[in-house]
Amino acid sequence: MHNPGDRLFGLALWGAAVGVTAVFAWLFADIARLGLGSLSLDFIATAPENAGRDGGIAPILVSTLLILGVAVGVAAPVGLGAAVWLNTYTRAGSRGGRRIRLALDMLAGMPSIVFGLFGNAFFSVFLGLGFSILSGGLTLAAMILPIFIRTVEAGLGAVEDGWRLGAAALGLTRSAALAHVILPAAAPAIGAGLMLGIGRAAAETAALIFTSGYVDRMPESLADSGRALAVHIYDLSMNVAGGDVHAAASALVLVALVACVNLMAVALSRRWLTRRLAV
Amino acid sequence: MKRFLIFLATLLAALAILPGAQAAGGKLVLTGSSTVAPLALEIGKRFEAMNPGVRVDVQTGGSSRGVADAMNGLADIGLVSRALKPEETKTLTAHTLALDGVALIVHAGNPVRQLDDAQIKAIYTGQTRNWRAAGGADLPITVVNKAEGRSTLELFLHYTGLKNSQIRAQAVIGDNQQGIKTVAGNPGAIGYVSIGAAEYAVEHGVPIKLLPMAGVPATTGAVRSGRFPLSRPLNLVTRGAPSPLAARFIAFARSPAVRDLIEAQYFVPPPR
Repeated sequence: MHNPGDRLFGLALWGAAVGVTAVFAWLFADIARLGLGSLSLDFIATAPENAGRDGGIAPILVSTLLILGVAVGVAAPVGLGAAVWLNTYTRAGSRGGRRIRLALDMLAGMPSIVFGLFGNAFFSVFLGLGFSILSGGLTLAAMILPIFIRTVEAGLGAVEDGWRLGAAALGLTRSAALAHVILPAAAPAIGAGLMLGIGRAAAETAALIFTSGYVDRMPESLADSGRALAVHIYDLSMNVAGGDVHAAASALVLVALVACVNLMAVALSRRWLTRRLAV
Repeated sequence: MKRFLIFLATLLAALAILPGAQAAGGKLVLTGSSTVAPLALEIGKRFEAMNPGVRVDVQTGGSSRGVADAMNGLADIGLVSRALKPEETKTLTAHTLALDGVALIVHAGNPVRQLDDAQIKAIYTGQTRNWRAAGGADLPITVVNKAEGRSTLELFLHYTGLKNSQIRAQAVIGDNQQGIKTVAGNPGAIGYVSIGAAEYAVEHGVPIKLLPMAGVPATTGAVRSGRFPLSRPLNLVTRGAPSPLAARFIAFARSPAVRDLIEAQYFVPPPR
């Protein structure tokens, strides 16, 4: 016999799990109901017309991918480097390391509009990149770096010391041990860090409206201004009368995009790094 | 690592060719009012189609930003959804593109038919807190105000003679659509938004109602005729004499060739 308290506890946990799923299902059903009707191949392949009420989102999708590409392309190598440095070159509990970690945690919790203002002031105005995909991507890179570094660092910290000792016993140099043993072992954490970063970057509106901007033309280079999907959705739902339907359809595309990119990030980091481990 | 290095190298290569990617026929940068931005974007696209090689980039951020960017040269043309203030006209020139009216809206289920100016003031300053005092049902009033920097706010303050610090609002919102959604979702709410956007929402079954101002019904027709008291010009502003390209764009934006675009955004083409 279960005691009633225990049963209630189990029921509460079960309820919480169902609740979380229900919120997602409700949210998804809501945008699907509104947007699914206008979602088609044409919607993805044509340019917006009439302020986004008609036409599609092709240039916006391309801009979004370019912005994400710049952000991840910059944040991933810098972030990996920083995480490795924090993990292997600072002693546990040292003052410098502690301060850097504190700074990173504070940056990770910073509202995105702060990054938007910084990106506008630094990349767009001070460095003269103007409204461009490049300044938007770099702003997002700055935004996702802290969370990426902390996730990867935690993953590196979880790698057993035995692996490091083994590598040292085999006479591997520090860099060889990193490339062949430690990083591959931390692959799931790197994948998770990428996922968190990309998810946050793809959902970003506030940091992009003043950096990559509002232009919905097909971008010709990284110096062009390009509207991100999240900015498009915001503008359609808040600023364009009758834009709700296409806002919902764009939101569906964004959800699908984030899901795809996440799956790819996980698969890539696993494959690329585990293969190295096997060699 | 190798893949990252390759990616970095491609990125740097892309950076290196950046200066070569300028538009051949010239480029115009327009920044400012989020109300005017969708219209400016559409006019810009038509202008680009007629002038190959020319690029028109539109950015948003509010009328204050339009004024500031035109003033300090960050933008060729500022987008400002109100008349310029006297001190601004010293450096800036306004070119009216279209007209827009601002209407008070309440929930469709609200029995109140109209409010006089004194009642509007009493509601927005928090002296009247229940609809019963304004001839409605026994329901608390939710006052919806616009955020600082929005030209609809400035227009509303100018009309009522209130200061923003006197207004006691329960909700502060930014864009027109947000105002419409807030009022549609709250039977006791009152707000003010662009007439064109509100008319469109009513036509499409959104439960809101436009209140007449000083006895004049809130319609785009009343705005066009100039009878509606709470209306505003949508302006393109430039500092000093505009460049030849900017001057061509302004002339195009004020020509009958874009009338359909203005009406498609629920604004009113200026009488000429």
